[in-house]
Amino acid sequence: MTHQSHAGYTGQAHTSAPPAGLSFPLEVRVHGRGGQGGVTCAKLIATLYSQMGLHVQTFGDYGSERSGAPVQAYTRVDRFPITNRNKVYKPDHLIVLDESLMGSQVLSGAAPGAMLLLNTRAGLDSYAGHYVNCQLGTVDATAIAREHGIGSNAVVIVNTTILGAYARLLGVPLTVLETAYASLGLSDDLAAAQYAYDAVRMRDVVQPGSGADTSSVPNAEVPPVRLMSEHSVDYPPTLLTGAWSSQTPSYREHDAPCNSACPAGNDVVGFVQALKSGGAEAALAILLRTQPLPSVCGRVCPAPCMQACNRKSFDGAVNIRSLERWIADHSDLRPVQHPAERRRRIAVVGGGPAGLSAAYQLALRGHGVTLYEAGPALGGVLRSGIPAFRLPPEALQHDLDRILALGIDVHCNSRLDSDALQRMQDDHGATIVCTGFGPALDLSIPGTELDGVEQGLVFLDRVKRGPVTVHGQVLVVGGGNTAIDCARSALRCGAVSVKLVYRRGREEMPAIDEEIQDAESEGARLMLYRQPVAFMGNGKVSSTLLAEVEAGPPDASGRRRPVVTQRTSTVACDKVLLALGQTQELDLLPGNWQVRNDRAWQGDQAKQIWFAGDCASGDGTVTHAIGNGRRIALAVLSSLEDAADESPTEATAPVAPAQIRFSHFEVTPPHRDRQIPPSVRRANFEESNLGLSGPEEAGRCFSCGHCTHCDTCLLYCPDGVIRRSEDGYRIDSKYCKGCGMCVAECPRSAMEMHEKIT
Amino acid sequence: MSAKLLSANHGAALAATLAGRANRAGRGFCSGVYPITPSTECMEFLCLQEIEKGRVVRTESEHSAMGVCIGAAAAGARTFTVTSSNGLAYMAENCMAAANLRLPVVLAVANRTLGPPWNLWTDHGDALMLRDFGLVQFFCADNQEVFDTILCAFRLAEDPDVMMPVMVCMDGFILSHSVTMTEIPDQAQIDRFLPLTAIPHQLGDTPHTLGQIEVPHQTEAHRQQHHAAMLGVPLVYAAIQDSFEAIFARRPADAVVAYRAEDADTLIVSMGTIGATAERAVDMLRAQGHRVGALRVRLFRPLPVAAIRKWFAGKQRIAVIDRNISLGFGGILWGEVQALADPGTVVQNYLAGLGGGDVRPEHITGMLADLLPRQIAGQPAMVEAV
Amino acid sequence: MDEPMLGGMAQTVLDRAHPLLRPGNTNCGGCGMSSLFHMMDHAAEDRRLQFVMPASCAAVCGGVFPLSTFGVPALMTTFASGSAVASGAAAVAQLNGEDTRVVCLAGDGGTYDIGVSSLSAAAERNEDVLYICYDNEIYGNTGGQRSSATPAGAITTNLPEGKTQQKKDILSIMAAHRIPYAASISLAHAEDAVRKLRWALDLKGFRFLLVLSPCPTGWKSEPALGMELVRLAVRSGLFPVLEIFDGKRHVINVEPDFSDEALDMYLSLQRRFQKSGVCAADLRPDLDRNWQNLRVLSGRIVPARRGP
Repeated sequence: MTHQSHAGYTGQAHTSAPPAGLSFPLEVRVHGRGGQGGVTCAKLIATLYSQMGLHVQTFGDYGSERSGAPVQAYTRVDRFPITNRNKVYKPDHLIVLDESLMGSQVLSGAAPGAMLLLNTRAGLDSYAGHYVNCQLGTVDATAIAREHGIGSNAVVIVNTTILGAYARLLGVPLTVLETAYASLGLSDDLAAAQYAYDAVRMRDVVQPGSGADTSSVPNAEVPPVRLMSEHSVDYPPTLLTGAWSSQTPSYREHDAPCNSACPAGNDVVGFVQALKSGGAEAALAILLRTQPLPSVCGRVCPAPCMQACNRKSFDGAVNIRSLERWIADHSDLRPVQHPAERRRRIAVVGGGPAGLSAAYQLALRGHGVTLYEAGPALGGVLRSGIPAFRLPPEALQHDLDRILALGIDVHCNSRLDSDALQRMQDDHGATIVCTGFGPALDLSIPGTELDGVEQGLVFLDRVKRGPVTVHGQVLVVGGGNTAIDCARSALRCGAVSVKLVYRRGREEMPAIDEEIQDAESEGARLMLYRQPVAFMGNGKVSSTLLAEVEAGPPDASGRRRPVVTQRTSTVACDKVLLALGQTQELDLLPGNWQVRNDRAWQGDQAKQIWFAGDCASGDGTVTHAIGNGRRIALAVLSSLEDAADESPTEATAPVAPAQIRFSHFEVTPPHRDRQIPPSVRRANFEESNLGLSGPEEAGRCFSCGHCTHCDTCLLYCPDGVIRRSEDGYRIDSKYCKGCGMCVAECPRSAMEMHEKIT
Repeated sequence: MSAKLLSANHGAALAATLAGRANRAGRGFCSGVYPITPSTECMEFLCLQEIEKGRVVRTESEHSAMGVCIGAAAAGARTFTVTSSNGLAYMAENCMAAANLRLPVVLAVANRTLGPPWNLWTDHGDALMLRDFGLVQFFCADNQEVFDTILCAFRLAEDPDVMMPVMVCMDGFILSHSVTMTEIPDQAQIDRFLPLTAIPHQLGDTPHTLGQIEVPHQTEAHRQQHHAAMLGVPLVYAAIQDSFEAIFARRPADAVVAYRAEDADTLIVSMGTIGATAERAVDMLRAQGHRVGALRVRLFRPLPVAAIRKWFAGKQRIAVIDRNISLGFGGILWGEVQALADPGTVVQNYLAGLGGGDVRPEHITGMLADLLPRQIAGQPAMVEAV
Repeated sequence: MDEPMLGGMAQTVLDRAHPLLRPGNTNCGGCGMSSLFHMMDHAAEDRRLQFVMPASCAAVCGGVFPLSTFGVPALMTTFASGSAVASGAAAVAQLNGEDTRVVCLAGDGGTYDIGVSSLSAAAERNEDVLYICYDNEIYGNTGGQRSSATPAGAITTNLPEGKTQQKKDILSIMAAHRIPYAASISLAHAEDAVRKLRWALDLKGFRFLLVLSPCPTGWKSEPALGMELVRLAVRSGLFPVLEIFDGKRHVINVEPDFSDEALDMYLSLQRRFQKSGVCAADLRPDLDRNWQNLRVLSGRIVPARRGP
């Protein structure tokens, strides 16, 4: 099937003269792959020369091959009419549209001094010592053409681009291409040609006349042809289509948004997937690398991971918090402790989540940890500030037991002062201070001294220690989790009614949304856009003056600044609980010390005294404290070892919803936690949320960026060249045509395409 | 062996039926058929027969009729179809495919003029259109010959050294519809004559592809092999004649049938039923003292060049009668055989019976009256036969 | 707790040990026909198969003589006679009491156009043939010319202004032959596709499957997006996925959401539609009419179209 088109002498006015140095007849051979535009390339070359008043002839060597298969095209140029109709066996100019085609077949018959123009990613320098008898030009036409959007990603059309480089090699101005491109409707591609014209790198003949390939016709081995009637033997195909592609797929993990969002640094997708495939034990093993308090976080974590979950906009975020609880409640796995190469003794001050996390990480690595706690027991705010119906003491104890089993030396009722802190340097390699927030914030309004006005945290602590009875109407001030806890605790202690006053809107309340819902369903009433301006009463609070608040212009954080108006109203109340947050102050520090980069400094001298948790960062959540405690612990270790941090992995953009193939997944609403009915639960301090009934929710995880061996790639690979292997999948590069279907079909963005390197 | 009064159409169908039954212990018999005058009777008759392990597929076109045969042959069955004229033209593409795939389909053709304008009567132009397709082509002159040649065609087509389609032609109406006594062998005899169909490249369990892309050197090789197989046909056919004779106690007609040609100085060369008529003309001319003989080319592809050359040797004049015309050239048989005559022999082409004209002995003696005085040959001459 | 869409169907013990289309075939990367073969590997299991293929990309992808790129015996036929040749092969299998399933695989040219006569006849005779049309909506093998399967709005190499007529409804035509089974297959709905292929392989009589087969070369689309294009065609209602039993009972297998957004996305991802400027609004009225008919036939009178 050889089709010939003869673009003959036209007799038109010639736009330019032939460049000097060309001798005629001139024969050009183009080597390309199906789809790259080799035949059009040869045709464009013919058009180019015909404009110079020369006779031309051009044709493609057609076959049945498809996109990617090697093809050839020819152009002949002469001052006289061209009569022969053979293929070109001794090319003067060789244009190779795909570097991977290079081989003896391509160079066959090229005369010494021939021009070789190569589309290659490698620079000219990489061909030192190669093709020394050719005038060589190299250009990365594929990248240029792809940049200019010519063809598709998988099959880039490079013909029009590489001709820019050809014009440069010929020493003619690029303008000669304009008419040729216009005649074939390819004027849009001139920009790419211009780019190649400038980008091509050239080298003259290095060794003229040496070692030229003078064989005229390629001498391919011709196998004997059997009779048609004897044709019944199975000869499997011999063609290796893997050579046809310019791109190749591979499996690559990408960051999951839940992982990126987790302040504690938990491998969320890892433990959820492990739960799915290996059960609670396997999941806990992963969690325990970063998470000493899974029972706690599985109950009270604000779960930023769920906010970031790619499933959120599809059919609801995966209920990650409760999965963590399920894992913690269903496994007694203990973490594996590794002996330290050089055992250090490190003091941790404060037994809250940050201190526990730091102590845990250090003990895991075999270091000796002494933990000082001011209170009578470990847990910090977890013990005193979170009501039992949210965090039963047994759940906290479950986590504490696991931590303490690592052999941590605990000293409770040990409140340290700055002197003690300085002394600690003597017998400890380092000290990590995790004392949490300072005292609770107060309101500077009239009436705070009245009986019945109490700090929420104090109230919660009292409730935690023993039965407390509340009478009448309770007003809670604040919008965070402490405020909600106060409201719900007050109801359980016998309050007739609970009103929660917050100066912004519902959406802006920092408390966990489910907790607000729970409080409301238990009977608490929200009074939004209100702020107390005075507590009133005769020795004992009996009412509160509330001012209305308007949403003003946004502040630096983007939240609208509350503007207190003159409009007021009075609410009767028998008790006021203040939950306005806490101060962040470090009264432990000697006067001449400063804190920089989580570390104590005396002038320019860094001390081995570090700060972690709310006392340093003020993030105010358990999960932040855990993450911070761990990071500081690791920083301490690397500072002691004078080494880099253990895991300084560079953060990349997590998998976005647009990179998830939603159509792969069925719409399945999240599995909700089992709740005790409000009327029942508000009567006692039993845990009100019973968690999930099973681990099925893990099946909803998209596993963003993490291969789950779901087989989608091997099912949709058109050529069936993906097979399972021991650790996932193996792509047979001998046959992969680089179409990219596997990457595009991967439901979870766990694959990617690469340029091929030849 | 029994004799039956049968039309050649029915004889052809009966031969196919018997051959089909003979393969009942093999992979069976399958035929795709489609009606067209004057071959319709043949397919109708075939459709009435009970054939054990056999099926006749009533298709929607001749193209599909041959398609069914290709599929069935590729699956290893014995295959047969029958058509005429435009039906053959429509079937042509698949005839070529069957030939190139070297599938042993037996194809009966009741020759008829190609149209439109529509003409129901006989003309060899339909079959000769397929001259270069790689099918063996026989032209018959009587009912028994049609029956015998169809039987031989199965044996020939399925011969491992041949393995290609065989076309058996009978002049439309003149032969297809004329009824004579025809000797019909018993099934047991047929079973002995026809071995079970064995197609070496049939589709089985081994993955292999029939008919995929070929590159030039492969097509060259396959054409060369096909050509060589064609050239071997006369020898294979002679052996089949021997076998036929041994079993049925009569010899089927030769590839080239000569009549009173040994001592003749003038030969009348033709194909099909005109060849039989020519023998009557020879008798008439002999009675007038002319040393005339007749030569009937039964096997047209491959052309039995050696046999024809042998009969041409030493003749002074040769009349080649063509019931066909290659427009812009002349008779096709003439074009083929004229080079086989000695230098100096006058070879004159007569075009007779085109479009079904009834060629009688006096038309042929008329041709001889034109030929005998000639010293040199003229342009092909049209002889009106009405 | 595995993802429900796949159901662990790939590379199971039931798969054919050797693929029907072997690596080393010459199909373009991202070819829908390749995907179809690959689906059939799951569906066909160890059944004895024979392929019959009229002139088409399928006939070419088998590579050069004497190589066997297909994992089973295969017979290449002339363009118009796929069904006839398959009839012959199936007849002989039946005569010999063999369980060989003869599969005729043809493109839209060999099905809708030049082959429609032999296809119709074989269907009417109810030959024991599984006929699969991989429909890429153009003459892909000859470089992309108009066929009667080309959809409205698509330009082809021989129709630069774009087709104004709707594509032929071959599935209804085949169902009108009252064959035991006619169905359309979306390769992007693998489970449904494999189920239908399996069902059709085992059924006796003439079965017709229509497969929308993305052709990156002819559709001028990214090879990687083939499956997504099929998905969009199904979602938007452009390619109904249904099965028809005995020409009577119509079952719609995948309910579209008739999203114009999906349809516009489908059109915009293929350069064959870009040049003609066709958009969802142009195609929607005809699609709505077609679906009204389908609703009536399937006995589900209430359209499932959402939104206004």
